[in-house]
Amino acid sequence: MNHQYLKNKRILLVDDEPELLHMVENILQEEGFTSIYPAASVREALETAARVHPEMAVLDVMLPDGDGFSLMKKLREQGDYPVLFLTARGEDEDKFTGFGLGADDYLVKPFLPRELLFRIGAILYRSYKGENPLVQLAASQVDFDRAQVIRNGEIIPLTAKEYELLSALYRNEGRIVTIDALCEAAWGDNPFGYENSLMAHIRRIREKIEENPSHPQSLLTVKGLGYKLVTEDRR
Amino acid sequence: MKTVPKLIRRFVETLIVSSVVLVVVNIVLFLFMVTRFEPNAHPYSSAENVAAALTKQEDGYRLSKEGAGILAETGAWAILIADGSGQVVWSQGPLPEGIPQTYSLAQVASLTRGYLEDCPTYPAAAEGGLLVLGFPAGSYWKHQWPSWNVELIASVPRILLTWIICNILVIFLIYLAANGKIVKSVGPLVSGIQALARGEQVHVPERGLLSEIAASVNRTSDILLSKNREIRRKDLARANWIAGVSHDIRTPLSMVMGYAAGMEKEEGLPEKFRRQAAAIRRQSQRMKNLINDLNLASKMEYNMQQVKTEPVNAVALLRRAVVDFINTDPEEKYPVEWETPDALSVCRIMGDPDLLSRAIFNLIQNCVNHNEQGCTIYAGVEEKEGNCRIRIDDDGVGATREELERLAGVPHYMVCDQNTREQRHGLGLLIVRQIARAHQGSVEIGASVHGGFSVTIVLPLGLS
Repeated sequence: MNHQYLKNKRILLVDDEPELLHMVENILQEEGFTSIYPAASVREALETAARVHPEMAVLDVMLPDGDGFSLMKKLREQGDYPVLFLTARGEDEDKFTGFGLGADDYLVKPFLPRELLFRIGAILYRSYKGENPLVQLAASQVDFDRAQVIRNGEIIPLTAKEYELLSALYRNEGRIVTIDALCEAAWGDNPFGYENSLMAHIRRIREKIEENPSHPQSLLTVKGLGYKLVTEDRR
Repeated sequence: MKTVPKLIRRFVETLIVSSVVLVVVNIVLFLFMVTRFEPNAHPYSSAENVAAALTKQEDGYRLSKEGAGILAETGAWAILIADGSGQVVWSQGPLPEGIPQTYSLAQVASLTRGYLEDCPTYPAAAEGGLLVLGFPAGSYWKHQWPSWNVELIASVPRILLTWIICNILVIFLIYLAANGKIVKSVGPLVSGIQALARGEQVHVPERGLLSEIAASVNRTSDILLSKNREIRRKDLARANWIAGVSHDIRTPLSMVMGYAAGMEKEEGLPEKFRRQAAAIRRQSQRMKNLINDLNLASKMEYNMQQVKTEPVNAVALLRRAVVDFINTDPEEKYPVEWETPDALSVCRIMGDPDLLSRAIFNLIQNCVNHNEQGCTIYAGVEEKEGNCRIRIDDDGVGATREELERLAGVPHYMVCDQNTREQRHGLGLLIVRQIARAHQGSVEIGASVHGGFSVTIVLPLGLS
C-alpha cells in the first residue's frame, strides 16, 4: 500500500468469527489504516454502515443472521462503495466470477495478510484513483489524474496506451504483470500478436519516466514473463 | 438390431438341414423294411424260374424239382399255353376252378397285365409256349396300367424341386404363424437388454408370449438404476463430507496463517521465534493447498467438477501461473526461468483455464515442497507432434529411477480400493493427472535436464 489518503478510507469489516475479525483489524491497523469498523452480524453491519457511511466493505459470505451477498445488496442501497468478499468455500468462486453480483474481488480463506492488503489496496486505488496524488518513481513523478509525467521540472504527457499500461503496472505495483495482462489492458480482449507493440510502448514509457532508459530503475523487465513497476514507497 | 434376422436365418437353416435329414432317414427306413419283406420272392422272377425249370420231354412237359419247390413254397399254380393253338398243354399246382383251357390273344394280354379268376398271374416265356404262374388270390396286388408320359418323366427334377420349395414354403408359413408372436416380442426384449448393457434405463412393454422375460428385464433395470443412485449418493456424501471438512478448517487456518505471518515480520521478536513463525506460516500454506487439493481431487474422482472447454493460450496461461507464483513467493528462494521459445507466443488448446492453472500451480508447488533449501524452477511451453507440452522442471533433489517408477505405477490412496499403506505420494500430482485426463491429455514424469525433477503436461492442440 502506498498512499496515506487511501489509508484514511472508512472500511467496514464483517465476519462472525470474533477472533478472525480481530486479526484482520490488527493487520489493517498495522499497515496504517485508521478507520476500521468491525461488525459480527448482518444487523450490526447495517447499523454501523448507517452510522459511519463506509467507503469500502470486507464481508464474510456466511453470517449468523444472513449471507454476505444479501448484505451487500442492502449496503449498496445506502451507498455505492467497493466490496471485497472473504469466503471459506472454493465453490463460491463461481458466484464471484459469474454475473451481476457486483463484488469487486474475493479472497478464499485461508489467506496471507499481505494478500489481503494487496487486494484492499488495489480495490481502493481503482475506486478512488480520482483523488490520486503524484506517484513517486526513482527519476520522476507520475500524475495519473492529468496523465502526465513530471521529470526534472519538465511535464511530459502520456499517450492513451502509455497511460493504460502504466496504470495497470501501478495497480499491481511491486508485482510482475504478465505480457498478456498488459496487452489486454491496452488492446482489449483479444490481445494476441501485440508483444512487439508492447515492447515499443514500454520503451517509450521508459524514455519518459527513467533517468537512463537503458538501465531502468522503476519499470523493470522480467524476462519472458512481464514487467514490474517499483515506486519509491516500496524502497 | 441384427438379432431378429439372425434368428430367422438360423431357423431356416435348421429347417433345411432337418428336412434333408428327414428324407434320407425315410428312404433308408423304407428300403430297410422292403428288403426285409420276402427278400427273393419277386413274382416275375418266380415265373421265369419256373419257366426255366420246365423242359419238354418226349412224353410231354416235365417240371424239375426246383420248379416244383417254388410252386409248393408259394402255394402257386402254373399252366403252359402252347404257342399257336392257345391250348393249355401242361399244368401243375392247385388250379382254381373255372380256369379256361384255351386262351385267345386278348385273354393272354389280360392275364399278363392283371388277374385270372382273382389270382394274380405272371407270365414267362417257356419252351414251346407261355408259362403263366398264378398265385393264390389276395397274395399280390398288381398295378395294371403302369404307363407315364415321357415328358412327365423328363421333368421329374423340376417337379421334385418345385415340390421341395413348396414344402419349405409351407413349413416356413406354418413357423411364422406359430412363432410370429415370439419373434415380434423378441425385438423389444433384445433392444431392452442392449440398452441395459449401455447402462440406460429400460422399460419393455410386458405383453405377449415373453411378457415374463420383459418383466424381468424391467426389474433388472430398476435394480441397476437404484444401485447406481445409491453409489452416486454415497459418492456425493463423500465429496460433500470432504468439502464440509475443508470448509470448516479454512477459518481457523486463516488465523494460524495470519498470526504466523505477522510474527514472522515482527522485528521485536528474537530471530529464533521469527524462524519458527515462518515455519508455521509455511506449513499452514501447505495445509491450505492440501485442503484445496483434497476437495478438487474428490470432486474430479466422482465427476462432480465441471470442466469448461474454451480456447486457451497455453503460453499466457503458464506465464500467468508463473507470475502469480513469483508474486507470492515471499522469500525468493525459488527463482523461475522462462524457457518458452521467443517465437512461440500463442499455443492454443481447448480447456478449462482454472483447472489448467491449478495443475500448473500444483507442479510448481511440488518443486517447492520437495526442495526446502530452495531451487530454480524452469517453465516452458512447446508445440510438438500436434500436442502442446507444458513443462515444469527444477534443479533440486529430483527422484531416483525407482521413485519415478513408483510414481508412475502406484495409484494414490484417494483412487485405490486396495490396502493403502504404501500409496501415499502427493495429492498434487494426482490432481495434475486427473486434470490432464479430463482434457484428453497425459502427464509425463521424469528426470530434468537441469538435474532435478521434470513433469510435462501433454495436451492436444486446439483448432487455431
